[in-house]
Amino acid sequence: MLNTLQNLGKATLGFFQRLGRGHLFLLQMFATIPGVLMRPRLVLTQLYTVGVLTLLIILVSGLFVGMVMGLQGYNTLVDFGAEDSLGVMVALSLVRELGPVVAALLFAGRAGSALTAEIGLMKATEQLSGMEMMAVDPVQRVIAPRFLASFISLPLLAAIFSAIGVYGGYFVGVDLLGVDEGAFWAQMQDKVDLHGDVYNGVIKSIVFGFVAGWIALFEGYDAVPTAAGVSRATTRTVVHTSLAVLGLDFVLTALMFGD
Amino acid sequence: MTEPVVQIRDLHFAHGERVIFDGVDLDIAPGGITAIMGPSGTGKTTLLKLIGGQLRPLSGSIRVYGEEVTTLSRKGLYQLRKRMGMLFQSGALLTDIDVFENVAYPIREHTRLPKPLVRDLVLMKLQAVGLRGASTMMPSELSGGMARRVALARAIALDPSMVMYDEPFTGQDPISMGVLVKLIRELNDALGLTSIVVSHDVRETATIADYIYLLSQGKVVEHGKPEALQDSSLEWSRQFLEGRPDGPVAFHYPAPDFRDDLLRGGLLK
Repeated sequence: MLNTLQNLGKATLGFFQRLGRGHLFLLQMFATIPGVLMRPRLVLTQLYTVGVLTLLIILVSGLFVGMVMGLQGYNTLVDFGAEDSLGVMVALSLVRELGPVVAALLFAGRAGSALTAEIGLMKATEQLSGMEMMAVDPVQRVIAPRFLASFISLPLLAAIFSAIGVYGGYFVGVDLLGVDEGAFWAQMQDKVDLHGDVYNGVIKSIVFGFVAGWIALFEGYDAVPTAAGVSRATTRTVVHTSLAVLGLDFVLTALMFGD
Repeated sequence: MTEPVVQIRDLHFAHGERVIFDGVDLDIAPGGITAIMGPSGTGKTTLLKLIGGQLRPLSGSIRVYGEEVTTLSRKGLYQLRKRMGMLFQSGALLTDIDVFENVAYPIREHTRLPKPLVRDLVLMKLQAVGLRGASTMMPSELSGGMARRVALARAIALDPSMVMYDEPFTGQDPISMGVLVKLIRELNDALGLTSIVVSHDVRETATIADYIYLLSQGKVVEHGKPEALQDSSLEWSRQFLEGRPDGPVAFHYPAPDFRDDLLRGGLLK
């Protein structure tokens, strides 16, 4: 009994310590951002590794998600003779929810885990220490550019995900199942609101980009510098980012659409 | 006597519960090679990290070039580090760029020299360690000894006045060991450096060191010139320097009586 209590206390303390370290890390990162903006090349190279290299999985997944939505949506809507609304259904689900959320989950798996492993290994092989001893701040030189790259690329990836998804829905709905093309696009244009739907989706993906970058980089920076430590940190990145994205999605949805 | 480059007074440091330094006093004289030796786990690497300001001590003073490292601001610390080079045990080369870029890295980060000049500087440093021909290789293609030499070229890239070597000889074959011994001595004399070598390779270190500190269990056991330490009156120093398996540091780790321990298993009853 006493042991259980002791372990519980230890785990709670550990949790809050990590939370505190995570926030200090964030502040440290913010402090270096002006310096990073003076050297945009650092961010550009990271935009390639973090953003461009994630593009393929985003394109393929977006297409398939859109196609499934087209198929499922058609099967449901056709019973009510409402298959002309397929365009709205696909577009709204993608722009409001699936685009930002699924793109963030894929981002955590593809880019987030890679970031954690990279930073963790740099720590384990003393590369970060080495930079410090060369009077180069690793947070500014290595961490902050990667954070900015995540922050910039996830909203773009989510937008691409939604766009390609709409085309996936169009392909299945209009080309294969015979929904009227005019109705597909016209209803979508009519019912999808730039402010209410598109902007809110963009805000979500900006928040997710912030959180995904922060978690991945903090886990790498805070990893125990051993093989097992880095592997645990990588797993934690994927798990924590996924949970954070889904949890925050609910909160944001409630704030945006819950009136 | 000239002002020491590094002056440590009454240094206390602990990793959690484990006490690493318990009142260490140490002076590093300018211009020479000072070796800090001791058994594994004595905190030799920790000492270098304390001097470089990567760790903060519990108490005590560490002055480097007259500046108190323990209370120095981050900015001051970074200024000071430009005057120090450090060779990590693993080399700590950046793995995503080649040898040339690794050596150019500190020069590019801290100066705005024109490209051709950077190139010449890097080639000069690589020539000094004998690896100009390897400038396009990636760190993963280098042998352990070569990686350490590249790291050494990088450590002297900004022409520091002090270089710290963390276990430079560990895990090296005899030839690269010989190369490193020669390099450390020659670079020290040619560039007028102050070198600190942390090591437990007694023979190699003793051949190049001008002064030796022996550390054990958080304290300086003895210090002096290599010749003087060879004839030390302390039993511990002689055991360490001659590498004898038994002595004041017993062969057996403290344990309960052997016979009792065996009997407890019940087999011999």
